[in-house]
Amino acid sequence: MLSTKFTKLSKEEVDRKWWEIGDFFRRNSLWMLMYCTGCCAIELPPAMTSAYDMERLGMGPMATPRQADVLLVTGYLSLKTLRRLIYTYEQMSEPKYVVGIGSCTINGGIYHDSHAVINQLNRYVPVDVYVAGCMPNTEAVMNGFVDLMGLIKTKKANGWKDYHARNEWYMANQKAALGEVKVHDEFHE
Amino acid sequence: MTNSMSNVKMVSEIIENSYKVLKKEVISQYQVSFEVNKDDVHSILTLLKTSGWIQLSYLSAIDWPEENEFELVYIVFNWDKAVHIQIRTRLNRENPVMNSILPIFPGCKYYERETHEFFGIKFPGNPGHEKQLILEEWDDIPPLRKDFDPRAYSDRKFVKREYSNDFVNLNGEKSKQIAREERKEKIIKVRKGGRK
Ligand code: SF4
Repeated sequence: MLSTKFTKLSKEEVDRKWWEIGDFFRRNSLWMLMYCTGCCAIELPPAMTSAYDMERLGMGPMATPRQADVLLVTGYLSLKTLRRLIYTYEQMSEPKYVVGIGSCTINGGIYHDSHAVINQLNRYVPVDVYVAGCMPNTEAVMNGFVDLMGLIKTKKANGWKDYHARNEWYMANQKAALGEVKVHDEFHE
Repeated sequence: MTNSMSNVKMVSEIIENSYKVLKKEVISQYQVSFEVNKDDVHSILTLLKTSGWIQLSYLSAIDWPEENEFELVYIVFNWDKAVHIQIRTRLNRENPVMNSILPIFPGCKYYERETHEFFGIKFPGNPGHEKQLILEEWDDIPPLRKDFDPRAYSDRKFVKREYSNDFVNLNGEKSKQIAREERKEKIIKVRKGGRK
């Protein structure tokens, strides 16, 4: 016979259960911050509006990084934008996920030999899902979001933990590409 | 009202009467280009501004390494007469300096900053022209000079992704295509109640 006696769970168990509950709600209501840097951003209007309607997946746009769960990087990133992207990423509250859209974020795409554009996004910020293509069609983009939800469900979307664990490595890469991550321009001084 | 061809003629008269034009090119009925001496640029632009070309629509440079020269191009624009005028001038490539046109067209501020950044041309008279604008913390020769090699720079600075195979299935999943077909078969089977 099963015991009906209440057994006290360990703290880790309780935490894990709360995280599962949290993840359930998170993955069904993802708020995206769209960092539309490149031409791939043109795939987002059909994904968001009535043609593909990402709200049926529970996804919506969010205007501020502090309230967003997903950072969408759509396309090439110049060094100037990368600097701002790192600012934005670090402002987001955890857990946070990054989706890189387009071959530019994967290996530089057609800008692989440009002086201004970085080649691999996941050297500078951790990327959970990549959507390949130049540009990927809207189905692929939607599929990328579904994949992200699956990864959250199976606890594989751990980019933000990786950012803590290997912080020195990320910092060193950012330094190598940018010199200094801090923004120096008229608006920040 | 004058038509456009006579607009071009009128412009040519204005400029050629008072300045030495090294090369003139009528690109189309709406565009005409004059190559002039470096010292005449400011007075020509002032003249054009007073005759109606009140907007500087572009300022940039072209690199001619064989001739060891930079070519500066100023494009001015008139809201009433449909003619764009390009004023071109050549600078020495070794020590490229051009006095700023800030007093004539204040809008040149950022164009001059950009040109300085991408070609290394100095614009005394424009106070902030040496500040960084687009390329932040640039650590090489100006990138739009022809002797700059973007690929070498990119190879040096950005790590390339290495591919050992053409295609890698990272987590050993079966292909989405196969999974989709299996799902379809299953649905059909259920729909038919397990019958063939
Ligand atoms: S992957 Fe292609 S479509 Fe996307 S940003 Fe790069 S060049 Fe543009």
